[in-house]
Amino acid sequence: MIKELFNLTLIQHTIRTATPLILAALGGLLTMHAGILNIGMEGMILLGAFFGVVGSYFFGSSLGGVLLAVLVGMAVGLLFGFFVIELKSDEFIIGIAINIFAGGLTIFLLRSIFGVKGAFSSPDIIPLPKLNFPLLDNIKILDVIFNNHSIFVYISWILVVLTYIFLYKTPYGIWLRASGEYPEALETVGVSSKKMKYFSSIMCGILCGFAGAHLSLGYLTLFTENMSANRGFIAVAAIIFGASNPVKTFLAALMFGFFDALGIRMQVMGIPSQFTQMIPYLVTVIALFIVTKNQLRKIKKKREGAK
Amino acid sequence: MKKWFRKENLEYILSLFIAIAASLAIGALIMLANGRSPILGYSALIKGAFGSKYNLATTLAKTVPLVLTGLATAISFRSGIFNIGGEGQLYLGAFAAAYIGFTFTALPKGMGILLAIIAGGIIGAAYAFIPALLKVKYKIDEVITTIMFNSVAVLLTDYLVNYPFASSRGKMGGTEMVAEQFRFARLVKLSTLNTSIFLMGIIAIFIYYLMEKTSHGYDFKMVGQNSLFSRYGGIKDKKQMIIAMLISGALCGIAGAFEVYGVHYRFLQNISPGYAFDGMLVALIVKNNPIGVILMSIFFGGLKTGSIAMENATSIPSELVLVIQSIIILFIAGEAGFKRIYKDLTMKRKLKKEGGTK
Repeated sequence: MIKELFNLTLIQHTIRTATPLILAALGGLLTMHAGILNIGMEGMILLGAFFGVVGSYFFGSSLGGVLLAVLVGMAVGLLFGFFVIELKSDEFIIGIAINIFAGGLTIFLLRSIFGVKGAFSSPDIIPLPKLNFPLLDNIKILDVIFNNHSIFVYISWILVVLTYIFLYKTPYGIWLRASGEYPEALETVGVSSKKMKYFSSIMCGILCGFAGAHLSLGYLTLFTENMSANRGFIAVAAIIFGASNPVKTFLAALMFGFFDALGIRMQVMGIPSQFTQMIPYLVTVIALFIVTKNQLRKIKKKREGAK
Repeated sequence: MKKWFRKENLEYILSLFIAIAASLAIGALIMLANGRSPILGYSALIKGAFGSKYNLATTLAKTVPLVLTGLATAISFRSGIFNIGGEGQLYLGAFAAAYIGFTFTALPKGMGILLAIIAGGIIGAAYAFIPALLKVKYKIDEVITTIMFNSVAVLLTDYLVNYPFASSRGKMGGTEMVAEQFRFARLVKLSTLNTSIFLMGIIAIFIYYLMEKTSHGYDFKMVGQNSLFSRYGGIKDKKQMIIAMLISGALCGIAGAFEVYGVHYRFLQNISPGYAFDGMLVALIVKNNPIGVILMSIFFGGLKTGSIAMENATSIPSELVLVIQSIIILFIAGEAGFKRIYKDLTMKRKLKKEGGTK
């Protein structure tokens, strides 16, 4: 039974289900470094998924889908930034508003564009290309794990590295982090912290657009209502778990992906799907519990040490 | 009563009307873009919501869960703890209430209903207690935990109604019916409006007094004062946050019980189409004012009911009202900022003028 559960397919599924979490979490950690907690990622992913399908369907290419998802992501990121940075609205309320807006808009457009309720799928939606490295074909383990993934899987890995380099090795990254922590100091050097915040917010929109496009065009080509299924919030949990570090957040997202994949595998064993579907949500709460408990303990130790 | 007429309140009511008008205008533009007449659409919507006894009753029936979940949101947000888990609390509360109704079928009428409401309230409160405890004790973000708990509750009840408590007859995904004598009586023919609306009224008055008139309510405000519309800042008292969260969860659980005993007479797998989220929207728009929650719930109930008539008249999907609702909240959330920008602009213009005359 355990053999049935823990096999190479599980790793393959983990990589697949973790990808939207990784993409969204990378975007969210950029805003986090700029001092903004973005609860609206859930809605941003949903919009990305919907407009990915719209673009792919009407332009007849998956690239068109991704471009449209990115465009919409940029627009929503800009909107989020405008409200939070310019109007100084509560980032949390705006996040919720964007989630609700995305839910309503996609349901409305699903009916007015495609004339359907609930879900839309069509052979005219072109899926994202899958990559195959013939070099790995002969080694079964590597073939199963690394081959035949949708293109965003590989892009997400590259982006983890790029985000790390950007944040810690380039002046822009330092400015971005300073805009969250020491905005006044940044201004004295002559860099606008506002601009850095806008940049992080728009980048987050783009990355959530990627995440959405991966969901709706990656494996199954369809859009269903609320298909983001709380992934935006799990991504927030991954950022907290990974302490906003790109590599650690990547690992946290992989862990959440693993439990998601494990749940899917467990259905094979005859466990009611309702319970297996609960796993990622429960794991998220437990993970947050562990990480904050550790943090509290560290703070306590520090205080005692100071005495 | 006097404080209602304070300048900032009047100013807020004005911006609320502007926000609603602007959102309706955007809705009108969407209709125009689809080649439909917004006048036709909106008049059908109003008629569909309030035009006849049946329509009005349907609107009011939709108002009941909105008021309860809206007050639940208001009381928690005011205390600085954000209960987004109303949907999960509603599902579990509804199931617990239904369980009483199909298990203890021999109970007398009043007893059964009372027990069911209490069960729904307690289960709802208990489910809200976990994230509240995690928040005050371990500082775990309640927004994320309550949202995760929503999914867990919906899945759990989904399992319960499909396996151990599946109805032996009739459709899938439902429990047995609750005993006949427990059900709330219907008030208007064909509509689902029922006597639970009176109980809702009593609960609303109670919550209003709790939030506005008692020293307890004063505490709630103190705790969430600075964070009236903002999440951070303000003194946060742990005990108050927990109490607020318990009341909030209980209200959502009771909303679930009312749905079971007034509308469906059983627990159904998808018993709520997101009532708690609509309720949250309502509370956010009126900045957690209990009277505002009731008025805005009627408005939202009207939008929902009228949207079907609008769809029939113009063939614009009824979901348009979802877009309108969410645009209202965006405008309201940006209210303070818009006002500041407006004041800046008028000030600049004034200064320019004065500079010019000199």
